[in-house]
Amino acid sequence: MSASLHLDLLNDDERFSSSPIRLRVMVPLMGFLLVIGTLFGWSFLAFQAHALSTQKTTVETDITGLKSAHAEILRLRQQEKEMAASLKQLAFYRSSQLKFGASLARLPEVVPANVQFTEMRVPTPPPFMPDPKTPNLGPTNTFESVSLRLAGKAGGDRPTDAVNGLLKALDNNPAFSNLIHHAEIPKGAFRQDTARGAVNRDTLLFEINCTCQPRRFQ
Amino acid sequence: MSVDVSFFQNLKAPTKLALLIAAGCVAVCVAVLVLAVLPTRTQVYTLRTEVAGLNATLANMKTDIAGTEKQRAKTDALTKERDTLLATGEIEPLLGSLAMRGKALLDPVAQQTGFAIENVKELPLLPLQVPAPAPEQLYGRQPIEFTGKGSFAQIVAFIAAVEEQQPLATLSGLLVLSQPQTPEIHKAIVTFEWPAKGEKQKTPAAKPAP
Repeated sequence: MSASLHLDLLNDDERFSSSPIRLRVMVPLMGFLLVIGTLFGWSFLAFQAHALSTQKTTVETDITGLKSAHAEILRLRQQEKEMAASLKQLAFYRSSQLKFGASLARLPEVVPANVQFTEMRVPTPPPFMPDPKTPNLGPTNTFESVSLRLAGKAGGDRPTDAVNGLLKALDNNPAFSNLIHHAEIPKGAFRQDTARGAVNRDTLLFEINCTCQPRRFQ
Repeated sequence: MSVDVSFFQNLKAPTKLALLIAAGCVAVCVAVLVLAVLPTRTQVYTLRTEVAGLNATLANMKTDIAGTEKQRAKTDALTKERDTLLATGEIEPLLGSLAMRGKALLDPVAQQTGFAIENVKELPLLPLQVPAPAPEQLYGRQPIEFTGKGSFAQIVAFIAAVEEQQPLATLSGLLVLSQPQTPEIHKAIVTFEWPAKGEKQKTPAAKPAP
């Protein structure tokens, strides 16, 4: 009778797994691969940063090269804005212009023979009071009233009719419609000429206030 | 706090070495990630944004520059329009005096119409309404007062002729007074105004390219 003898002559540290992948080799290998991968990733990013930095320098150089040409167009645009704004401000002035000459030239046609003017007045515009908060803003109202005041005396047989006729003509005659909006005799402005003595008691002093077309600065 | 290292001590020497190397690699990776990768990635993002911005600026500049001639024509047309308008009636000082300029302008008209100018006076400038956006060079209304004598027909002819010959002159004041001594000749104070240069505002300069 025979018995098999099994001799195990391996030390513990000489035992290997049957698997061809050894953990003690693979773990450091994976570690190294991870390091290499990280370094590769970093180098890729560094390359990208370098490329972008070069591109940035190139674009900046291009921009510097175009600066003078661009400054010229900016100057032209600024000048255009300035011109447009100046024209707009001058247009305010032009639109406010009121012509007196033609209407005043037609005035003798409607003045009765027994009416004589002693004074004709168009008051000058009042001085501008700037708003201390916005001194550079200029006037904010776009409207300026204009008036024409006629003072005179009327004699003859029917001085009242003569003055009323004149008033009516100023108010309604198309010759004055471009200038005069409305004409009226202020209260108390139609009175007897007491200063001239008893002989001329029939002479009447009068005033006619004409509201002219306003000057519109817009 | 204590760390149980008995598990590690029981491992075989090669395994221990392998784990230590792996741990070292992970530490190196973390260090590279924190010290190099993340800052570089931030730098890349920043650069990418900057380059995109610069490229947009460059493209805008190129587009702007391509339109230079068109812009020049537009600007020149407006400049010409303004200069033509001002040439028709902006009042400028003559030898430092606006009154002298006014007299020089209207003396021929007065002679032509028979109105005798005796005195000329410059009144304070009245500001004009300011549009938005405001121009750098502001304009105002410059009144000039002419005192003289003439018949009513001469005074009116003078006013009408000035309005015709000076397109930007506007009558802004008038006083005709009858003279008892000379019933046909009246004293007249005629005030005309013209547009004139006013203050120059300081405005921010055109935005330069970055």
